[in-house]
Amino acid sequence: MANAIALPQTSPAQPALQFLRVIPGVLLLAAVGYAGKLLERNVGTYAKAHHWTFPNIEYVLWAILIGLAISNTVGVPQIFRSGVATYEFWLKAGIVLLGSRFLLGDVLKLGGVSLALVAIEIAGAIAFMTFLGRVFGLRPKLTSLLAVGSAVCGVSAIIATQGAIEADEEDSSFAIAAILALGALSLFTFPLIGHAMHLSDHAYGLWAGLAVDNTAEATAAGALYSDAAGKLAVLAKTTRNAMIGFVVLAYAIYWASQGQAKTVGNKAAFLWQKFPKFVLGFLLISILATYHFFNKDQTTALANLSRWAFLLTFAGVGLRTNFREMRKQGLRPFAVGAIGEVVIAVFTLALVAGAGKLFGF
Amino acid sequence: MSTNAVPLNARKGWLLSIDSWAVVAALLAALLIRVGVLSRIPW
Repeated sequence: MANAIALPQTSPAQPALQFLRVIPGVLLLAAVGYAGKLLERNVGTYAKAHHWTFPNIEYVLWAILIGLAISNTVGVPQIFRSGVATYEFWLKAGIVLLGSRFLLGDVLKLGGVSLALVAIEIAGAIAFMTFLGRVFGLRPKLTSLLAVGSAVCGVSAIIATQGAIEADEEDSSFAIAAILALGALSLFTFPLIGHAMHLSDHAYGLWAGLAVDNTAEATAAGALYSDAAGKLAVLAKTTRNAMIGFVVLAYAIYWASQGQAKTVGNKAAFLWQKFPKFVLGFLLISILATYHFFNKDQTTALANLSRWAFLLTFAGVGLRTNFREMRKQGLRPFAVGAIGEVVIAVFTLALVAGAGKLFGF
Repeated sequence: MSTNAVPLNARKGWLLSIDSWAVVAALLAALLIRVGVLSRIPW
């Protein structure tokens, strides 16, 4: 979900100044995203005209690849960094707008299936990551952060938990680097595995939403497979995101009981503070679409606007991923994360296969 | 000026969280589309 990026540490500025500061980076996101769209359209045509055998690469992958190339060669200059960090804003706005493509009945039906699978996934992932952290001798709070990041929703879960359990910033950086590196790898591995296993759009989308940690990467991994899979991946991931407050609260209570974190006073207020509000926006737009608040053309316009928002997100996923920076964070947290992710991916694939047999998708 | 990894959510001075701003912006866009100010969004 949320992601970390190198941002300048400056004193709080006026909102107007902050707004101006993000413009260069937003323009860079738009330029990279649009370049991806142009490449999708023109490379295939060019290759066909010259009788080349060239795979059909979608704009999603082009945008990510261009961003990765910039970030890992020349780097993202300081002036663009604040704006590049807004990709999380575009992601969430895109998810809210995507609600127009789901009727409430579908959300309840698919969301119900997702919820059951998410509950099993979260319990399994936390138990396994905790076990792995102990085997590898990681610090207990780092293990907690990795477990939450793998089980719920990546970086924002780690950030929310860091505050709640009073973990070190260093532990948080390790966990975030591991989750981001593994999220980047999943973009390339998940679609390949999905195609190799001939997964349906439905099954693949659910799997990507359950197994890929960051919402941006889960959305991209789904969209790389198909439009329908992308929708399902967002729904499953959103269901997972909705659980963040409960998991963070459980960890906060545990670490407070160990005398290593503050006691949580008002639990309802804590849950509301941690609850991802974009889930409510997604549901609201879905309800409005279900009751025909928007006509057909308006629904198409909303869906297209959602695609544009995701385009900026995918550009941001590439631009903020810097493998050199991640490598500096050390191997052990990455190894724990990698082993955990592989096991969680296999576990969730089995869950989706089981649910597919049960519900016929 | 250092460049430590800082989550966007952690930045102060935006009045609302990025989550809430995204919802506000998306709902505003949906409203503009509904009333016809944004009539056609090409893809």
